Amino acid sequence: MRRIAIYGKGGIGKSTTSSNVTAALSEMGLKVMQIGCDPKSDSTRLLLNGREPQTVLDAIRDGGTPSLEDIVAEGYLGSLCVECGGPSPGTGCAGRGIIAAFEILERLGAVDRYSPDVIIYDVLGDVVCGGFAMPIRNGYAEDVFVVTSGERMSLYAAGNIAAAVGNLTGCGYARFGGLIQNSRDVKDEDSKVREVAEELGSEVVSVIPRSVTVQSCEDRGVTVIQGEPRSEQADVYRALARELLKRSGDAEGGLRRR
Amino acid sequence: MRIIHPRPNPIVAAMYTLSDLNVDVIVVHGPAGCCFMASRMLEEAGVRVVTSGMKEDDLIFGGTAPLVETLKLVEERFHPRTVAVVGTCSSMIIGEDMGAAIRRAGIGCNAFPVDCHGCSGDNTVGAIKALEAACEAGILPADERDRQIRLMTAATDMEKRIGMAGKQYLSPTRGPTKLSAAKRMLDVLRSGGKVACVMLAKKELAFRFADMFLALKQARDALGGEVYTIANLDPGLGLPRIRGYASAILKELEEKGASPDEIVGGLDEYALVGERMKEKADAYAPDLLVLIGIPHAYPELPSDGILITDQPRQLANYLSMGLEAVGEVSSHSMVMGARSIIPLETGDTIRELLG
Ligand SMILES: Nc1ncnc2c1ncn2[C@@H]1O[C@H](COP(=O)(O)OP(=O)(O)OP(=O)(O)O)[C@@H](O)[C@H]1O
Ligand SMILES: [Mg+2]
Repeated sequence: MRRIAIYGKGGIGKSTTSSNVTAALSEMGLKVMQIGCDPKSDSTRLLLNGREPQTVLDAIRDGGTPSLEDIVAEGYLGSLCVECGGPSPGTGCAGRGIIAAFEILERLGAVDRYSPDVIIYDVLGDVVCGGFAMPIRNGYAEDVFVVTSGERMSLYAAGNIAAAVGNLTGCGYARFGGLIQNSRDVKDEDSKVREVAEELGSEVVSVIPRSVTVQSCEDRGVTVIQGEPRSEQADVYRALARELLKRSGDAEGGLRRR
Repeated sequence: MRIIHPRPNPIVAAMYTLSDLNVDVIVVHGPAGCCFMASRMLEEAGVRVVTSGMKEDDLIFGGTAPLVETLKLVEERFHPRTVAVVGTCSSMIIGEDMGAAIRRAGIGCNAFPVDCHGCSGDNTVGAIKALEAACEAGILPADERDRQIRLMTAATDMEKRIGMAGKQYLSPTRGPTKLSAAKRMLDVLRSGGKVACVMLAKKELAFRFADMFLALKQARDALGGEVYTIANLDPGLGLPRIRGYASAILKELEEKGASPDEIVGGLDEYALVGERMKEKADAYAPDLLVLIGIPHAYPELPSDGILITDQPRQLANYLSMGLEAVGEVSSHSMVMGARSIIPLETGDTIRELLG
């Protein structure tokens, strides 16, 4: 099983990219579980075509004892959609929520039950506290990719995330897989992103052009793979999906690798 | 220096300070077991301590709801005039707004938050936070707050200089029996010598240490010699509950004919009174000096005196310095809620030797 985490600055396109990759991998016949690690709970929206699943944390709140069916929703082409959920803004601790949500998924045996080929963690932009580093710790995700544009703040965030992964690699956790360029049509964007990748001792895995197709599909509540399967943009996501498969490790185990 | 032995924490220090202020109910906003030992001791002493009992859910989604419910229950059940809500590590890490919860609970009494947690620093930081919050809530005058803060700061400095807070690790010890110390005191009196007994007691612990004055009086009455006593028992100084302790102890000592010869400072001034006490004791020129309570608050520990402490780690510290010291371990749990003087093991040993 492959365990992939997608990080990146807020609003940069992590959920859109993750969902399109999940859809593309599903097309290839793979079982994919996408886990949204963001209290906004909007990671899998495009896979669920507007349905809103119960979040893991809502399900366990007030002593709830959910079963997997309650918190794992089936999306496009049988993709498995999970939203960790979390507190409303300004209260509680979203990071602690991520940790608790993972514990529940593990306790309920999500991996044994669905035997996914790939798990994709779509994680809130900034690794603000230990909770948001959880996906790249303790053997959850093995390969970390960062979505970035050529914009300065986005590249800066990419550097921070790479540093966080670097710190954890020493503990035998995740490794940094590379940058996914989600273009914003910034001047000299390709070379800017490439330079940062080189500084980080890494590579640009894929360059996704900015495209109106993405937004028109989003308006319809679908991924590009589902909504415009024959578009060039869809092929870009398919290529990215193959690239991620190629660059990620395949290890036994449950939610965490053995 | 990295100090690794377990030691008092700011949350508990805040709770004790609130108890000294006679706050009616203390609400610990955190997990049910947080500060459980201290809460239980305070409860046994008649101070109401309750917990908001935060759970994992509350950590994630915020703990305002259980706190509001707890506050409403407190009002219903205890009809308090004052309620203090004390923060803990878990509630403060997630940034709980305890003031807002108090307003939301809409209870009629004077309720106020104390924003402290276990990682705030020295335990006295918690006490100072409690004093500041109490002052803001109008139950403590500003000059007394400032006085208390000065005392706290002095106590912290003292502990760092010569107390437990200056050692990396001290293992607790129960120390030797009280026999040799008791015999030495009796020998001096029997031969017509002078024993000076200086008490530097921390707050409620005076209920136990004052027994030394009673035992020494009995010994002098039986054997002769001279006894001279100094104590920080000024009943006009300190927070309300502490003044009450001093009055009660002085009254009992007077009834039993063992009033201290000199009173220097209040029960919260143990860290400051050492110099003044030493001047008086030196002027008396005793054959044997007995220091009880917090002996290291005395400017110079006598190499040929006797030290009596309730702290097992402090005792280890004194013994390692080659001093004669005995431990009245577990005194703190005995004095919680005490209304009269509680016999010391050293005192009882003296009585037994007197027959
Ligand atoms: N390649 C692209 N071309 C055009 N628009 C895009 C592209 N990628 C993403 N977007 C748009 O950018 C917006 C933000 O994307 P998305 O929600 O995926 O970001 P995110 O990184 O998940 O945000 P957050 O950090 O808030 O979770 C969406 O409206 C999406 O349609
Ligand atoms: Mg997102």
